[in-house]
Amino acid sequence: MAGGAGTLGRVLVVDDEMHLRLFIKAVFESAGYETATARDGEEGLAKLKEFRPGLVSLDLMMPNQGGIRFLSTLRADPEFAETRVLVVSGVEDETFRHSLALLQAAGVAGGALRGPDGYVEKPPTAEALLREAKRILESGAETGRAPNVEPKEA
Amino acid sequence: MPEARSLLLVDDEDGIRRMLALTLADVGWEVRTARSAEEALALYRERPAPVVITDIKMPGMDGLELLKALKVQDPECEVVLITGHGDMDLAIQGIKLDAADFVTKPIRDDALAIALSRALERRAMRQAIRQHTQHLEQLVAQKTRELLAAERLAAVGQTVAGLSHAIKNMASGLEGSLFLLRQGLDADRKAYLEQGWEMLEANVRKLKTLSLDMLRFAKPEELAPAPVDPALPARQVVALLAPKAAAEGLELTLDVQPGLPLAQLDAEALHRCLLNLVGNALDACAGAGYGTAKPGGRVAVRVEAQTPEPGMAPDGAAGGTAGGAAGGWCVRYRVADNGCGIPDSARGQLFTAFFSTKGAEGSGLGLMTTKKTVEAHGGSIALRDAQGTGTVFEIIIPAKYENKLL
Repeated sequence: MAGGAGTLGRVLVVDDEMHLRLFIKAVFESAGYETATARDGEEGLAKLKEFRPGLVSLDLMMPNQGGIRFLSTLRADPEFAETRVLVVSGVEDETFRHSLALLQAAGVAGGALRGPDGYVEKPPTAEALLREAKRILESGAETGRAPNVEPKEA
Repeated sequence: MPEARSLLLVDDEDGIRRMLALTLADVGWEVRTARSAEEALALYRERPAPVVITDIKMPGMDGLELLKALKVQDPECEVVLITGHGDMDLAIQGIKLDAADFVTKPIRDDALAIALSRALERRAMRQAIRQHTQHLEQLVAQKTRELLAAERLAAVGQTVAGLSHAIKNMASGLEGSLFLLRQGLDADRKAYLEQGWEMLEANVRKLKTLSLDMLRFAKPEELAPAPVDPALPARQVVALLAPKAAAEGLELTLDVQPGLPLAQLDAEALHRCLLNLVGNALDACAGAGYGTAKPGGRVAVRVEAQTPEPGMAPDGAAGGTAGGAAGGWCVRYRVADNGCGIPDSARGQLFTAFFSTKGAEGSGLGLMTTKKTVEAHGGSIALRDAQGTGTVFEIIIPAKYENKLL
């Protein structure tokens, strides 16, 4: 149950697919996290302010505002410097890192954009989601310790 | 090229003609001579020459007229004009008429040699340009072929990407439903059980639709056309979907132009196409919020004859006899709804495999398969601009019904 102070933390689930929202929400909820959901990047950004999650589970390909736009907006806002991002996407990790590096090279993503703190490819399993979330949130105590995105190939 | 050293010399003055012919033959030209423009044209028609040297002032047809006539007959023929002293105006006229050069009397050998080499150069240049142009055309044709091939490849890539997205979503849904059901059972939470069951049902349905659509899509379109009443598939589809429409609080109507002749088409295949379009239209009405709580959602199906030539009256088939069937008329199926419409951004991709505006509900194969069937009939399908909101799809099928027994 979404409980108050006694929870593991707050997770905001951003995904345009209803079933995935339900699934990911249930995974975190039943593990003891407090959850909220959003259907796209735009709604996600609004929810960030009111819900103030420690972790965002983020889909990449969404209508209205896609995941990369959400990520760069979040990273650019010092208010959310502590918010961690776990990308849950059908896009392969490798492909995503490559496109992020391209965006950075083109200056679209506003210079040195810090990439996501973790990555789970779709279809996600409950175990993978919880393992990544735990790893991210535990390493998150040291600020900025989260891995940066770098192009895999020179 | 041996032909490049052959010329036709035209002058009415015997002395000049003979002298020039000798000079030119001496430097290696094969020379044919003519006393008049008329004779020159006859000789040219008999066997063209790359270069013609002609005096301007001649009785009868003069040199400039000969120049014009030659250029009409063979634009590649190069003409060098011989002008009298002080005939600069005529010379200029000649150049304007596309003469290669002119020499003035008395003719000096070196001037003549220069004029002739200019003529030959012009000819060579023209040929080079033509070859270059032909080469360019070949190059364009080749590049176009390559581009088309690349586009086909891109379409395959798009298809694979779309398919992979659809499959990953379904796999996630199935994974999710299993998780919810297990959690629901373990923790005895009815909400999880209900959600998990709903998710399982939806994804199994999606899986079924996608796999069946893919089978149908992968199957080469083999039509079994037969002369039928073109309204038949529309009647069947409307009858089939009427209960669904009624249950959803939507209005579904059919309007058939009376007296349609028979048309040569595969009624079963068109049935599937119309089922797809009408099903989409009902979904669009529901998507716009119409339903039992909010009446007003409408899907209208119309079947009518359409004549491609504006000369024929559009309702020329209304006479009702099959006798007019062999003419070039088409059957038009029109499915119009006042639903949520299709955003401009999606219009370009409507007939692309695995593209769907229905989110997770669509397989992205319906319209694509419909288009394939329609095109196999030699017809076309298009999205028409709806008046106000909603969507209008039109299928046009040539009714080319020919009774081969008669």
